[in-house]
Amino acid sequence: MMLAPATGLLGVFIVIPMLLTIWLSFQNWSTQTGFETATFVGVQNFIDIFANNSVGRDFKAALVNTAIYTVLSVLIILPLSVMLGLLVHQKIAPGGVFLRTVLFSTYMVPMIAVALVFSKLYSPTEGPLNQILGWVGIPPQTWLSAPQTALVSIVILNVWQQVGYFTVLAVAGLTQIPESLYEAAKIDGANPVQRFFSITLPMLSNTLLFSAVICIINAVQVFEPVALITQGGPVNATNVLTFHIRRVGIERAQGGLGSAMAVTLMLALVVAIALLFAFARSREMKNS
Amino acid sequence: MLFRASLGAIGTAAVLLSSTALVQAADVSFLTHWAPDTVAKLEAAAATYTAAHPDTKITVRAVPFGDLLTTLRTSGGGAGGATIAGIYDAWLPDLAKDQLVAPVPEAIAADVRANWPAGVIGAASIGGTLYGIPNEIDVYALNYNKKLFEEAGITEAPKTWDEFLAAAEKLTDKSKGQQGFGLINSWAAGVLHPFSSLLVSNGGDLVVDGKPTLDSEAAKQTFELYEKLIKSGYSDPAMATADANTTGPFLDSFVSGKTGMIIMANWWESALKAGMGDDFANVATAPIPVGPSGDTARSISYSWMTVVNAKASAEEQAAAWDFLNWLNGPESGPDGASAMGDILMSMGILPSRTSDGAAFAERLASDPFLKGYTDTLANAKPFPVVLGGQEFSESLQKTLEAIQFGQVSAADAAATAQADATEILERNAK
Repeated sequence: MMLAPATGLLGVFIVIPMLLTIWLSFQNWSTQTGFETATFVGVQNFIDIFANNSVGRDFKAALVNTAIYTVLSVLIILPLSVMLGLLVHQKIAPGGVFLRTVLFSTYMVPMIAVALVFSKLYSPTEGPLNQILGWVGIPPQTWLSAPQTALVSIVILNVWQQVGYFTVLAVAGLTQIPESLYEAAKIDGANPVQRFFSITLPMLSNTLLFSAVICIINAVQVFEPVALITQGGPVNATNVLTFHIRRVGIERAQGGLGSAMAVTLMLALVVAIALLFAFARSREMKNS
Repeated sequence: MLFRASLGAIGTAAVLLSSTALVQAADVSFLTHWAPDTVAKLEAAAATYTAAHPDTKITVRAVPFGDLLTTLRTSGGGAGGATIAGIYDAWLPDLAKDQLVAPVPEAIAADVRANWPAGVIGAASIGGTLYGIPNEIDVYALNYNKKLFEEAGITEAPKTWDEFLAAAEKLTDKSKGQQGFGLINSWAAGVLHPFSSLLVSNGGDLVVDGKPTLDSEAAKQTFELYEKLIKSGYSDPAMATADANTTGPFLDSFVSGKTGMIIMANWWESALKAGMGDDFANVATAPIPVGPSGDTARSISYSWMTVVNAKASAEEQAAAWDFLNWLNGPESGPDGASAMGDILMSMGILPSRTSDGAAFAERLASDPFLKGYTDTLANAKPFPVVLGGQEFSESLQKTLEAIQFGQVSAADAAATAQADATEILERNAK
């Protein structure tokens, strides 16, 4: 009885929209018309989004782009956040708190401001990044202007903005590690590298698992930099799933197809997170 | 006594409230993608109208062009959405199919038919029903940098594709980071319209009788022209990124004298002036060069119109049409022009009302940049207005960008574009 209000709210705002999206993924429906106009088409929408026509090619490309973006973001952000966390947490040199403030401030900058600045930084002819590279003899890079480099450029932007947040999480994890463990390891003659791999990393595993889950969810939901800077281009190189679903479901009003894409994205995310937990559990069992 | 006084006060308040309700009986909101200075002009025109029509309240809401269709699709089409919206003609078939836009009332439709060119009316109509009041028409032309032409020893604008390629070669200087011709990517209409203009100037079409013709000989030659520009290095795709807000390397490169030629619409004038300052005097306009299969210089044209939300209340719709009729009528602007025409001319955009053409004739003739566009109007071909137009545009954009980045050959691009367009148009027509 006491849980009824909370359960009711969950049902109205989370469960019902999810069930509605799943139901719509089996319908042919224009988002501009009422639900009563939806017509059942079975799994046709799912067949279409994996077909070898423009609908299928665009969706598969967006799925691959999202996967690449997510993997690169996680692989760069997590090690970097631990490294920066160690720098912030250490007490040998001063400035840790200042560094933490600077790092976290990037997370608080609104994406519109980040997008404006990075689109100018990345300008191939007049951008400061290419000018700086030119001073050290590196030829100008194409950044957002070529399909080979555009997605990586968006990943760099994401890393720049998110790494401060994950550094704070890493620091929180580091503060939980008892100092006595390091003292004991030092007495046993362990060097800093051995102490990192034998104490720090294992003790950070729960923090890193949480960080990985959040990082994956954030990366899969990437939308703003694509919508603000590249519009999915060039040649679909930065067309990620959330942006593509918006294009199909809202701009083109193809609600059934858009819902099928959203359901596939949700399933992919569930599978990715489940695999991550399974991997963490197997490691835990192996260690114990 | 106190009771009677209270009753009197309540009665007075009721009268005041009801009259207030009457004063703001119709709240009309106008959704546009115009820049703040142009929005201010529209607000000024709305203020003039509401001074004479105190029962109507008009507010203007602006969103970037890239978000206009999405806004219309999400909030714009509902009962609480914008009452009026300025739309691109290619969007009309889908919006009309979903019954988001209301037909023009017959009295106003008759006036539109009498005062606008038939081609523009056709672009604002579906199945013979007029859905919007047309206001602007846009065509494409070759813009070139006279200073760069002079430095390269080119004496006149290219008239044919052979001359165009020869000029592009002379203008290309990699040591200066200078390209001969600027292609566009990352913006569907920006990619498609220059390609379509070259295609129609080569005697081809994008769509004929609702079916794509992207595998025609004329289309294949146009794809090959793009391939030549890229392979020969006359166009650098890294300098091609653009968006509808006229920002990005495409604009930067032309404005800073790193691009010799571009193909762009008349509304580009205000962005060029803002970016180039005094150097805008170096920009000249010429007709689109004629391809080997073409007979005369042509461009594509497209139009914009103002539509009314079909889900708005009857009072709001009536007030919206009355305002639009006034805004586009010959008494709202200076010297027989419409207020809408005056606003459009401030951006370098050609108004489509016939009497506006006459009212602004002197101004158009004295502006060499715009004159280059008005001269091409007679031979312009309308951009196809079909169901699924936006999806068709985005699909062809992707193929053209794939050529720019060397991912497909011209022959493969023509085949892919034709197959994709056929599937898209057939699916959307169902």
